Amino acid sequence: MSTHGTTGRFRREELVGKYLTFALGNEEYSVPVLKVREIIKIMDITAVPQVPAYVKGVVNLRGKVIPVVDLRLKFGFPAQDYTERTCIIVVEVALATGARMMSIIVDHVSEVLNVTAEEIEQTPQFGDEIQTDYMKGIAKVRGHVKILLDLDRVLGVDGTIAMPQPTAA
Amino acid sequence: MPVVPEPVAPVTAVAAPAAAPVAAIDDFVVDDDTELVVVQSDSELANLFIAEALDHLGTIEAKLLELDERPEDTSLLNDIFRPFHTVKGNASALGIVSVERVAHKVENLLDLARSGRIPMGETEVDLVLRAVDVLSLMINDVGQRLAGQPRKATGAEAVSLVQQVEQLITGQLEGESAAAPAIEMAEPVAPMAPMASEPAEDAAPAPAPAGDEAAFEQDRRGPTPSRRRDDVPALAGTATAIKVDTRKLDNIVDVVGELIVVQSLIQQDPALSSLVDGRLARNMAQLRRLTADLQRNSMALRMVPIRQAFQKVARVVRDISRKAGKPVDLIITGEDTELDRKMVEEITDPLMHMARNSVDHGIEAPDVREANGKPARATVSLSAYYQGSHVIIEVRDDGAGLNTDRILESARRKGLIAADVNPAPEDIHRLIFEAGFSTAAKVTEVSGRGVGMDVVRRNIESLRGRVDIRTERNKGTAFLVRLPLTLAVLDGLLVRVGSERCVLPAAAVRESLRPKPEHVHFVQGQPRMVQVRESVLPLVSLGSVLGMGATALDPTAATVVVVEEGGSRIGLVVEELLHKQEVVVKSLGDSFASVRGVAGGAILGDGRIGLILDPHGIVAMVREGSRRAA
Repeated sequence: MSTHGTTGRFRREELVGKYLTFALGNEEYSVPVLKVREIIKIMDITAVPQVPAYVKGVVNLRGKVIPVVDLRLKFGFPAQDYTERTCIIVVEVALATGARMMSIIVDHVSEVLNVTAEEIEQTPQFGDEIQTDYMKGIAKVRGHVKILLDLDRVLGVDGTIAMPQPTAA
Repeated sequence: MPVVPEPVAPVTAVAAPAAAPVAAIDDFVVDDDTELVVVQSDSELANLFIAEALDHLGTIEAKLLELDERPEDTSLLNDIFRPFHTVKGNASALGIVSVERVAHKVENLLDLARSGRIPMGETEVDLVLRAVDVLSLMINDVGQRLAGQPRKATGAEAVSLVQQVEQLITGQLEGESAAAPAIEMAEPVAPMAPMASEPAEDAAPAPAPAGDEAAFEQDRRGPTPSRRRDDVPALAGTATAIKVDTRKLDNIVDVVGELIVVQSLIQQDPALSSLVDGRLARNMAQLRRLTADLQRNSMALRMVPIRQAFQKVARVVRDISRKAGKPVDLIITGEDTELDRKMVEEITDPLMHMARNSVDHGIEAPDVREANGKPARATVSLSAYYQGSHVIIEVRDDGAGLNTDRILESARRKGLIAADVNPAPEDIHRLIFEAGFSTAAKVTEVSGRGVGMDVVRRNIESLRGRVDIRTERNKGTAFLVRLPLTLAVLDGLLVRVGSERCVLPAAAVRESLRPKPEHVHFVQGQPRMVQVRESVLPLVSLGSVLGMGATALDPTAATVVVVEEGGSRIGLVVEELLHKQEVVVKSLGDSFASVRGVAGGAILGDGRIGLILDPHGIVAMVREGSRRAA
């Protein structure tokens, strides 16, 4: 298999690097470490009205107001009580209006992984039921599949919270 | 030489026709952006130049207005000349040729005035004021062009300005040479005679008064550092300053706010408060004082004097009083009163509008004033002062005062007030803030079109301020604007909505009460109205309006907060009224731009965020809701 070429919208070389992996249910997801600003324990979140259910509200990160998106709900997993392991990952995303700090709630954080070109594979086509826009590709590491998330897409196309729900999961 | 437009008013005694005008459009329009090469390579330098130049032009404008009042004070001319020279020098150093050329011509005029060769009368001041406007436009345009915007066509304006300056200089000097043909030999300059007798010769690029050009060159050749030092005395009276990116200030405010929260968390920590230790208690108290001090100081970083807003108003008053032929003395006090920079920017337009109204509507024509036993010269005063955590800004005139009867009549005609209703005079006066309302007998260029005062009120309210009118027939009118010192801090009332705590701006809250069962009126099984003394107000649950869990609350067991916004009052049912608190306002960011009824977030004492509610949005949502239901 060639180590060059593309996985959909991204060139394979672009995807090589360090990733922070985390779990949602039994699935493993990952985001580039460079995007991650901070990992904090689940904390009190102030609810904001008139937003989709997956937008849990805002938290105070040292004086800054940061929106929180529950990734379980965003991806259509059933809701689940937060536990000791539940984490908020604060990330910097590039939106149409500029860079913005946002955060995601995940079941638990796993590890930091170095993904090589050989491990990266193209996002498979699942058919109509699953939206693959949010994936940059997948990495097969030690027999496990990690989904490489495109956070800029996950957290809002135009920087507005009102995003369409994924059709199914 | 390229074809140029005829001069507006031909210079007297000009023999040669078309060659006369010295300024050609080509001299003042640099077609491409080649002149921006230097600044393009260094945007910081460019922004510094723009900010400084605009600052200087502001100073020049202020001094010109002073000069207009006291033409005999020649030291003012120096105060005007110096910053002008700096602007020109900087523009020249950066290669911004179009700005430099215009500045140069006006500088010539100023220099002649400085040496007493040209009297600095009303016409001259007018012209230099116009030059300030044109240069401000051009310099702002430099910023726009650097940001990739197309260039604005300022060339024609620049040319007409320069032509007028030249005509003025020529005319004045001609007069001078006619009156005193013998030119003092002491002046080591080229004799003015050839220029005065044959101004057409000046068509060559060489600037009009060659002599003064030489004098100016000399001035410029002088050691540069001394010129710099020359600028220092002007600054000596004011505090020294540096320019800082406002985002850096905001970061400091963020961190300090958090420091306060952590400090109070530590202070209230049970583990710590169980300790009985004098030294610890003293140190904690000291820490609390210091953090509070730090917060006050960090807030003060954003504060600027209101002077720049007042200066713009002064200019408007001057221009309009000239145009309307109503001599006006403007008295300014409290221009050092400081408030949030953003507030100063936002309040400028409303103030200008109110001042315009005062001169245009409020003040009578001089003969009318005299007939009424008042001095022909009117007085407009502009003042600012603190009142608690607010700033009061007054625009006061000694004109005719509002005509209560005419306002009422006009309001009845427009259907704003029913024929059988007789409102109190204060309520009638407030009508001038309604949209589409104007009592001006004649529509003038500046006012009387019925737009304006409603915008003024709206702008002031959006700054969380209010405007009141005091008026007395034949004595005058005063507009009193009351503003919070900053938009960054809000006087809030904490209320509990479901499991969340929200902040209602205290300014919008009229009262809170727990209604008696007989004062709550039901519609279709729901509590929909509450009687507060003589009035019946719509009653809604705050949680259900916002969409934060629509638990049906029994108003008689909860609290009703009466909120007033834009003249209408509603009763909001909340679980609990907690306490008053001053909060730091944070934006929720554009992610939540579509959320209605919420204005931002505040970090509360325990470090959690409380939503700051927007009474205006909430009242609008309630109205729409009831319209939908109807």
